[in-house]
Amino acid sequence: MPREEYQVPTTSGGASAGAMTRGATGGERHDSRAVMTYICGDCGGNVTLSKDALVACPHCAGRVLYKERTKRMVQFEAR
Amino acid sequence: MAPSRHAAPSAEEHLRRNTVGINKETVTNVSSTDFPGHFPGEDHAFSIEQFQSAFSIQFHRNEANDASFSLIGIDASLANAFRRILIAEIPTLAIEDVFIENNTSVIQDEVLAHRLGLIPFNGGREGIHNFLKWYKKPEAGEDPYANSFDWNTVRLELNITCTVNPDAAPTENDPLKAYNHAHVYARDIVFVPTGRQAEHFDGENAIRPVNPDILIAKLRPKQTINLAMHMHKGIGADHSKFSPVATASYRLLPLIHITRPILGADAKKFQKCFPEGVIGLETVTREDVSKPGSGYEGHLGELKAVVKDSMKDTVSREALRHAEFEGKVKLGRRRDHFIFSIESTGQWDSDELFLESVKHLKLKCKKLEQQVINMVQ
Repeated sequence: MPREEYQVPTTSGGASAGAMTRGATGGERHDSRAVMTYICGDCGGNVTLSKDALVACPHCAGRVLYKERTKRMVQFEAR
Repeated sequence: MAPSRHAAPSAEEHLRRNTVGINKETVTNVSSTDFPGHFPGEDHAFSIEQFQSAFSIQFHRNEANDASFSLIGIDASLANAFRRILIAEIPTLAIEDVFIENNTSVIQDEVLAHRLGLIPFNGGREGIHNFLKWYKKPEAGEDPYANSFDWNTVRLELNITCTVNPDAAPTENDPLKAYNHAHVYARDIVFVPTGRQAEHFDGENAIRPVNPDILIAKLRPKQTINLAMHMHKGIGADHSKFSPVATASYRLLPLIHITRPILGADAKKFQKCFPEGVIGLETVTREDVSKPGSGYEGHLGELKAVVKDSMKDTVSREALRHAEFEGKVKLGRRRDHFIFSIESTGQWDSDELFLESVKHLKLKCKKLEQQVINMVQ
């Protein structure tokens, strides 16, 4: 999706009905307690952070967390 | 007086005209002179009969990935045309589009895609050369797969995940033993036949990398590469990954002319000025000595330097640096003797490539001929 088309999701109003179907993870986006998974830079495990939680991996206490890569296919020219 | 057709120049004169002089610091006689009007009274008009009688090809080496042969009696313009066609205009199949679903390795998506594009592939020759046709890129706004068919697109996949090897010792330091798929090689690429490709590329004709051991990426446990690729036909002028040759080059035949005898210790030193096998040592015979003015008088039984195989020479001009050889040796190159060397990347055989370049040049000439005809009408 081009950046210009992106709309900030809102819980009120029905304007986001289109955006719901477009996003790959659209179903859980409006969950009030949206769970975001990160990847630990040290052990590679999945980390879910809750509100007010310490930014650290529960398995190995690593403090570097990476955002997950997009689930969408990305096309490149082999040049 | 009407210009009479003189007899062809003497063999000696012909050799002089066909030799590029290589001196200590200069190169002389670099341009060819065998064109009409250069020598008064001599007819140098191109005729196919004359070309055919003077032209010859000698093969020195003919392997699938490395061929070397001499084209003798051809002009530099033609030899260079063949070289340029070999590099830039003979089509091959290469990875053109990469669709990355997931790549958590340390190598970035675009770099990975570029590396994949450079891998040379091989497969059933009949299928690659005849069945597969050109792919036309869809216009912007068109369906991106509108022009993709089984006769112009080959699909490949690469799905690989690195895992810890449970059988390895815990102290194992070699990642190749400690993990499964720590290295991603070209052999991990899987060919997915679509449509009629199953007929043309089945069994040993399958599309596969020429060298299965090309390293694509390195992984650590839980890192994964998950992608699909589309191959298309293209030419080297568009991108060098499509070039069918690793190198295609020529050099002119080196000439070494020993004008005055080089004898004894000097001969051994002279031999060392050239690569191995270029200069041989022979003993001066009674016959040599008996010729008056040859310079061999009184040197019966001594060693003399003779040219054994000038083709092996690299023309380093080392012999010209030493005072003792001054005036005794002349270096040069034959202007119409091209030693071609073609190294194929694997999709074609090297000798086949040269024939293909001849075919391409012929086709170009035919097109030009038609245009000239159109121009005259």
